[in-house]
Amino acid sequence: MQPIVHFDNVTKTYGAVPAVDKLDLEIEAGKFVTLLGPSGCGKSTTLRMLGGFETPTSGRIILSGKDVTSLPPNRRNVNIVFQDYALFPHMTVGKNIAFGLELKGMASDRIHRRVTELLELVRLEGFSDRMPAQLSGGQRQRVALMRALAPDPDVLLLDEPLSALDAKLRQQMQIELKSIQERTGKTFIFVTHDQEEALTMSDKIVIMNNGRIEQMGDPHTLYRRPESRFVANFIGETNFFPGKVLEIAGDVAVIDADGDRLRARTAARKPGVGDTVDLAVRPEAIVCSAVKPAGDNAIEGELVQEIFKGNHSSLTIRLPQGRIVHALVDPLKSDGFAPGPIWLSFDETHAVALVA
Amino acid sequence: MSNKSFLFADAPRTMLTGFYWAFVIYLLGPLLLMFAMSFKDATFIAFPISNWTLDWYAKVVQDQQFLSAFVYSLFIAFATTCFATIIGVWISMLISAEGIWGKALLFALACLPAVVPGMISAISLRIFVSVLDMQTGTAAIIMGHTVHAVPFVVIMVLTRLRTMPANLVDAARDLGADSFIAFCRVTLPFLGPALVGGMIFCALTSIDDFVRTFFLGGYRPTLPMLIFAKVQGGMSPEINAMATLVVIVTAAVGLYAERLTRRSRIS
Repeated sequence: MQPIVHFDNVTKTYGAVPAVDKLDLEIEAGKFVTLLGPSGCGKSTTLRMLGGFETPTSGRIILSGKDVTSLPPNRRNVNIVFQDYALFPHMTVGKNIAFGLELKGMASDRIHRRVTELLELVRLEGFSDRMPAQLSGGQRQRVALMRALAPDPDVLLLDEPLSALDAKLRQQMQIELKSIQERTGKTFIFVTHDQEEALTMSDKIVIMNNGRIEQMGDPHTLYRRPESRFVANFIGETNFFPGKVLEIAGDVAVIDADGDRLRARTAARKPGVGDTVDLAVRPEAIVCSAVKPAGDNAIEGELVQEIFKGNHSSLTIRLPQGRIVHALVDPLKSDGFAPGPIWLSFDETHAVALVA
Repeated sequence: MSNKSFLFADAPRTMLTGFYWAFVIYLLGPLLLMFAMSFKDATFIAFPISNWTLDWYAKVVQDQQFLSAFVYSLFIAFATTCFATIIGVWISMLISAEGIWGKALLFALACLPAVVPGMISAISLRIFVSVLDMQTGTAAIIMGHTVHAVPFVVIMVLTRLRTMPANLVDAARDLGADSFIAFCRVTLPFLGPALVGGMIFCALTSIDDFVRTFFLGGYRPTLPMLIFAKVQGGMSPEINAMATLVVIVTAAVGLYAERLTRRSRIS
């Protein structure tokens, strides 16, 4: 199937510094895609280039099969929800939503019907005559969303739209955004630095760093199979065990990490024997026991602290060389641990050897 | 003892209050005096007023010279306001646009006429007009007043523009507006209160101006020039009545403008 958006080798430089570096990205229609990365990674620039507010230094942007690289924002069928909403303060909610429809030349009775229908979609019936200043943060957010959806864009762009909301409202809006996306079947491109937001809503996450794509995939795959230390660190929490590769057996690497013999599956970028690697293990993949478990992947450490949180216990363990390891254990499967010596182990399929 | 030191500590405040009232009297006294004299049934200025009358006002309203000068001043103020607003908004947009070189210089130039002494500005404009071989008169007056009024518009519009969220115009563009429509439908309405305030100040400076008009004017007098000419023939209560009318109208308009701009600062 033809992608609805295609960034073809797009570069954007400010001065000598590339904000976006040779970006190649295809986005499938009807999906919720998140551009995720730390600030300055190029995600917002990418979005603004698609919106038409920045022109690429080189490369092409294809939208619905049409080259839009040098078209101004008003001549592309994409709409943005801005971080600060950018509602027109002198217009009512209804007028704000109608703005894009009027410019399309839609008849006023059809505009009226569409505005009513959109307000119903976000349960803001009867708010049409309010001014933006009379709305709460969450209501403004929803009006901004409907204003951008009103002209029926090919792609809806969202530039960190939840960052101004408080934590509880943000969680509600995440679910609401996802359900609106599913109901309308629109392609959403969402920009955020918040990994939890990305995991909650996305069909596909594109992780960016230094203007390049670090890795992309669905949330499960990204969480389970990070391909680099950056991704393992950025999404979720990870324990790293640095070491040297002793041998490679199929998809499994055997690693010497400070004298411990550890086995882990290899990432797509396969290490060679003798390479330095980081073995990455999620806290919830670590199994703790008071006695030495059988087999490989057993590490001895000292339990420093156990914090019981009801549905899980959070364990802080210090290894002999001083490294701190964090483990989450299921309280239903253990009676808690005494401070002092403890054994850690993990399944080799839950660990990945990343080329450092 | 304690009472004494309390009084002593309070002295600066008492003095401040005294100075304040002295200032108020100094500010309003002459106006009130003029106001009172305009109702006096005699041609010389002195108290007490034995007979009150509205005759002077009746005379002013029937005075063809006064009415003609008044209409002329209004016409010049109107033209000045139109030109100054268009130029002022245009300069403000330039200054607030991205990627324009020499913004500080542009701003300084636009605001220069507000600080150049009226006399100097009037003489230089007069020289400019004669170098261009232009007639003194209405066009020259409007030009001179416009130069002086532009800074008011620029400062008020820029102040308002600074409070405008950067994304508003982007949002309009994103929803399909070209830059002209975005300007008309988003930027201008946002500027609204500041624009009205700026326009009123323009009109007031124009109506009030004497020096520039004196140097650039033709044979037809504006209101300040007419009053000046009449004063030279001696003070008369008719002038008091005329001036009182001008004070009341301009103060009312000025206060309204102040209120408007204050509201725009809050919202």
